[in-house]
Amino acid sequence: MHTFWYRANAVLTFAVTILAVICGMASLSDNFNFPSPHAHVQVLNINWFQKQPNGNDEVSLTLNISADLQSMFTWNTKQVFVFLAAEYESPQNSLNQVSLWDGIIPSKEHAKFSIHTTNKYRFVDQGNNLRGKAFNLTLHWHVMPKTGKMFADKIVMTGYRLPEDYR
Amino acid sequence: MDWQGQKLSELLMQVMLVGFAISAFVVGYSMGSFQTMLLVYAGGVALTTLVTVPNWPFFNRHPLKWLEPIETECHPKPQQAAPAPSKKKPSKTHQK
Repeated sequence: MHTFWYRANAVLTFAVTILAVICGMASLSDNFNFPSPHAHVQVLNINWFQKQPNGNDEVSLTLNISADLQSMFTWNTKQVFVFLAAEYESPQNSLNQVSLWDGIIPSKEHAKFSIHTTNKYRFVDQGNNLRGKAFNLTLHWHVMPKTGKMFADKIVMTGYRLPEDYR
Repeated sequence: MDWQGQKLSELLMQVMLVGFAISAFVVGYSMGSFQTMLLVYAGGVALTTLVTVPNWPFFNRHPLKWLEPIETECHPKPQQAAPAPSKKKPSKTHQK
């Protein structure tokens, strides 16, 4: 500590070390938050349902997605990424996941929403297994923190079924 | 800066930085604002730098007391006129 620059170096390195420690503590404090999100998705309409020329089934849906994700936000949350996936079983795959819609929620004020939308990404099957298929709509989310660990979880909504015929 | 000043400066730096870090975390967590935590801590680091890095007068309150200079007459310098040239000559011949 005998020269100006030696002391400046000591202050800088110790300050950055402590900054890393408080960021770690901020990340750990997220573990005391137990979110209780709600989500509800309605399939309002089957817009069309057809077999593509290459033999794959494709369906277009109109959805109403309402969710309350406010309890996920803590002081260390930067944003929340949510996506809605259709999940079903087919002879080739025990689990198919097709992303239908996604969104980035930048703040707690935007975390309670109700959206009326057609599927943002195409709902195409690998094959032609969609007629009369029962499927789940699952809302997945990733809570992205300002520092530290990212949390991910999901809500599974069951009891949806596609029509028996193309239209 | 004297020895006591260096010790004081290091102690001040550690205590101030840890203190500001704790208060920044408490304030940020209670206000629910990560940005507030960073601002409080940045202010603390700036203040700590200002207090401990420059060579302030209060770091120089314990100057070292050197011994009085010893009279040169009592201890005359060893004579170096005679042995010096005799030492140089063999070294030169050795180099060649």
